[in-house]
Amino acid sequence: MDLEQLRKTTAEVAARDDVKYLIGWEKGTYGYRVSPVFIENEADAEDLIFSPLCTSNLATYLTLVEKPPLPRGQKADIRKVALMVKGCDSRAVAQILVEKGIEREQIIVIGCPCPGVVDVDLLAAKYPEIAENTELKWSGEDFTLIRGGEEIPVKREEVLAEKCRLCRYPNPVISDITIGEPVKPWQTEEDPGVSEIEEKSVEERWEYWEEQFARCIRCYSCRNVCPLCYCEDCILDRLNPTWVNRAVNFSENTAFHIARAFHLAGRCVECGECERVCPVNIPLGRLNRKLAREVRGKYGFEPGLDPDGKPFQASYKPDDPEDFIL
Amino acid sequence: MTDKPKIGVYVCHCGINISATVDVEAVAEYAQNLPNVHLARTYSYMCSDPGQALIKKDIREQGLNRVIVASCSPRMHENTFRKAVQEEGLNPYFLEIANIREQCSWVHDNKEEATAKAKKIVASAVAKSRLLEPLESKEVDAEPAALIIGAGIAGIQASLDIADAGFKVYLVEKSPSVGGRMAQLDKTFPTLDCSACILTPKMVDCASHPNIELMTYSEVEEVDGFVGNFTVRVRKKARYVDVNICTGCGECAKACRLANRISSEFDEGMGQRSAIYLPFPQAVPAKYTIDPENCLMLTRGKCGKGPRCEEACQAGAINFEQQDEIVEFKVGAIIVATGFDTFDASRKPEYGYSDYPNVITGLEMERLVSSSGPTGGEIKVFNGEEEIVPKEIAFIKCVGSRDASVGNEYCSRVCCMYTAKQAHLLREKIPDARIRVYYMDVRAFGKGYEEFYDRVRRENVRYIRGNPSEIFKRGNKLVVKVEDTLTSTPLEDEVDMVVLAVGLEPRADMRQVMDLLRLSQSGDRFFLEAHPKLRPVDTATDGVFLAGCCQGPKDIPDTVAQAKGAASSAMVPLARGKVTINAQVATVDESTCRGCGYCVNVCPYSAIEMVTINRFGHEVEVARVNEALCKGCGSCSSVCLSDSIQPKSFRDRQILPQIAALGGMS
Amino acid sequence: MSEDFEPNIVAFLCNWCSYAGADLAGTSRVHYPANIKVIRVMCSGRVNPLYVMNALQQGADGVLVSGCHPGDCHYMEGNYYARRRLGIFKELLEFVGVDSRRFHMSWVSASEGHKWKEVVEKTVEDVRAAGPFKGFRRWQIDW
Repeated sequence: MDLEQLRKTTAEVAARDDVKYLIGWEKGTYGYRVSPVFIENEADAEDLIFSPLCTSNLATYLTLVEKPPLPRGQKADIRKVALMVKGCDSRAVAQILVEKGIEREQIIVIGCPCPGVVDVDLLAAKYPEIAENTELKWSGEDFTLIRGGEEIPVKREEVLAEKCRLCRYPNPVISDITIGEPVKPWQTEEDPGVSEIEEKSVEERWEYWEEQFARCIRCYSCRNVCPLCYCEDCILDRLNPTWVNRAVNFSENTAFHIARAFHLAGRCVECGECERVCPVNIPLGRLNRKLAREVRGKYGFEPGLDPDGKPFQASYKPDDPEDFIL
Repeated sequence: MTDKPKIGVYVCHCGINISATVDVEAVAEYAQNLPNVHLARTYSYMCSDPGQALIKKDIREQGLNRVIVASCSPRMHENTFRKAVQEEGLNPYFLEIANIREQCSWVHDNKEEATAKAKKIVASAVAKSRLLEPLESKEVDAEPAALIIGAGIAGIQASLDIADAGFKVYLVEKSPSVGGRMAQLDKTFPTLDCSACILTPKMVDCASHPNIELMTYSEVEEVDGFVGNFTVRVRKKARYVDVNICTGCGECAKACRLANRISSEFDEGMGQRSAIYLPFPQAVPAKYTIDPENCLMLTRGKCGKGPRCEEACQAGAINFEQQDEIVEFKVGAIIVATGFDTFDASRKPEYGYSDYPNVITGLEMERLVSSSGPTGGEIKVFNGEEEIVPKEIAFIKCVGSRDASVGNEYCSRVCCMYTAKQAHLLREKIPDARIRVYYMDVRAFGKGYEEFYDRVRRENVRYIRGNPSEIFKRGNKLVVKVEDTLTSTPLEDEVDMVVLAVGLEPRADMRQVMDLLRLSQSGDRFFLEAHPKLRPVDTATDGVFLAGCCQGPKDIPDTVAQAKGAASSAMVPLARGKVTINAQVATVDESTCRGCGYCVNVCPYSAIEMVTINRFGHEVEVARVNEALCKGCGSCSSVCLSDSIQPKSFRDRQILPQIAALGGMS
Repeated sequence: MSEDFEPNIVAFLCNWCSYAGADLAGTSRVHYPANIKVIRVMCSGRVNPLYVMNALQQGADGVLVSGCHPGDCHYMEGNYYARRRLGIFKELLEFVGVDSRRFHMSWVSASEGHKWKEVVEKTVEDVRAAGPFKGFRRWQIDW
């Protein structure tokens, strides 16, 4: 990734009068951390990076914008928002466009072909010592860790994030500006996490998820980080009617996770954010990816590819599967 | 907000229909203790006058504001009880039925189980009833006018009926003249009336009727609105002739440089016309039209030294500067009478329609036999070498009908009879001809049809059961290769002419009309009626009706009958002057709607549109329901991720308590 | 599981086909088990899959959703949407470990009183075999 090109291009975009801000990644305050950053003027583009540590999906910030009441007579700032996207992030953008979460003209998509990002927990477990100026770079198939001036080669399979192992769209599906060369998609691998659960008996599956959901503290991080969970008033928060009680217990937690996963059926773009942010490490991605697999396999549908496409749940084919119908 | 719920529960014995298997007293006692239940009673027949009086008395004296009747299916008596509570001043939608007969007492035999189930059913009704909301049925004015699309016999008949009843009719026809397919026919079976003789007076009536605004050479471009209140936009295509001046003298057509050089659509390509033309002599209006696809002036901008038609027209009606005109008007009802196309015989290549000039279709035969047709009614065909009067003639039936290989599994219903009629006409014109009809079945089902078929057979027309496999040429004859399936004999019949009894197909341009009016197709690709038996002229779109062959193949009497049916259905809102809008419609919470448009996608009635609202200074898109179009199915609400759109009376917050009650957790 | 377990089943029926079919079973005096309790909705397309979850959480051992046959929907296409949404929801339930016998969907027309009986019998039999579904019950406090 050519950082010069990235910073030059983003500076030009940030300088535009019709751009409100540009959302990108910058080096975080600590260790391997990378944090999202909102750039409002071109000088700040110097801070932007794009590295295997840029795991977060910035598309979330397209829809997470608060719209506080405006004083009478004041106009809303409807200038464009530019954002950097990896392949998976771009699918979230496309899906948001399908759902009219934002208008196409309102955004500038800066596509960054992505050779795969790391699972920071795996990386930190393997290389726990943190130094100033820690950086991770792509190098060929693998990564190079730069730590205190020292360059350490890191094997791809050791630290690659799970979602990237399964990635089929490393290149952005929509972008107005592309930075860097397209990446050759790598061989897709069957999703072992999902298959592992599928192979269990129904009782074992229930036990497995019971163990997982019982741990849930209902912090709602999975929902809040999801680029596609952006109802201002989520039904799972609502009291009238009450879909899910607020009590944190296995029954309500299970209902919460079933409802969350179902609301993402045919919408989830498998960016893995829910799973990444879960403080108690519930493998939420497996729920979503299971549904994505069925939606793809049985209904021939894949969300987040065509911004002009129809939504999965709000469309049908006359020959949709009905083998489950009595 | 309404008052605190004060529910009355009425458990019906229904004689012994319910009480034999359900302990109604126990159910009432159970109901008495449910939240917000003020009283619970049983009665032998709730639907009887004393039963209803009981409810009314309690509303009056006890101040009930919700009523639950535990009795038969809501499909039986919901309306009865709604009316009863309404008479006492209660909103009719505060009445809830608990179905403990059809779905409980009649289907279970164990009294204990049935009683337990009945209790749950009542508990579920109570849970819902507590959360019901009052609904108002709205009425809106209906525009006392109708739009009829298509001016064939169906459209003409419907227009005349509606116009005679005193309503305004806009009759829109795509081609330059009214008359449609019927105008192309020679005689009509089984009575052999001349088609033009019975049709022309109606065409003229249509044009001169004070209540009918006839728009020929025009197309409907846009329809908005709903029953009672449709706004219609029609494009009146430029004729390049001022119809107010044109006298219909025809001098222009004679003068045209392309006179008799353009094949006539009316004559199925067997005759010729000019670039400025009247489709047929009896056309209504009798005004000429310039065909923009052929006219030299319009295609090349030049016609010799100057257009001859312009020179020839004494009245000065020709105007090459004329533009399309858009007119807009409002109607209360719409009748679609767009007719049919005939099957394209070249799709059955084995019959050689594209190869041999003496293989013709049934509709071409109509023109050939017509005294106003291209040959003046003389039967002459070109056999590839010379023009002859055919002496050996074969008819082949079911061409493009009852044939899955061309995608038409249906029977076209008219071919059997028009074949018989044409065989009869040929027998009259060529008495010594040998006429054979190859058929699969003969379907002569109408009034006088079987008798006519018998008469034709007695006129020495031979019917041979067999479906020809091939037609080929041998010398100057055509050979029809066929097996007579009654005797299992393979035959090769040498003939001078073959008439293919082509079937009826949906019009090629029907998609436009479907999109315009949100209509659907049935399996045979014709327009889908609302119910195949009980609502054959209605469509899923209220206020839009079907007449004639656009709904399926029909003969003339059936078409006229359906047109009259459609006309009287269309006149219901017009005569009443008002339409009632369903009260159980969907409603949007604009404060939570995120504007994704999922509901717009699933709504089968296009009743939801996105509108921009100002939410505290921010422009946001939200869904809005057109209550006049909504039928309350609720499909929109189960795709709504934020539960912002909800059908009234079937809201999530009304259904979830029902679930809890049935589950046992209320 | 105990032999005398009587499953509690909540059914969602569309008004025009399946509810009418169930009514017809009644008028024809076709007998079937009393385990099934019906909630009437206008269209199977109205059935939010989360109702199924909610019913299982609120005391149902099994759920049945029934609508018009494909192509026969009173609202033209509501049942097609229902089929897609509930089909994918069923996959989710199974993946989470809910026995697939607990949730059924069927097409029952207004003329199919006998089919309604068969559907009910099959559903009851399946849910009975799957046993009581306690794991997911909503926790309630008895005040």
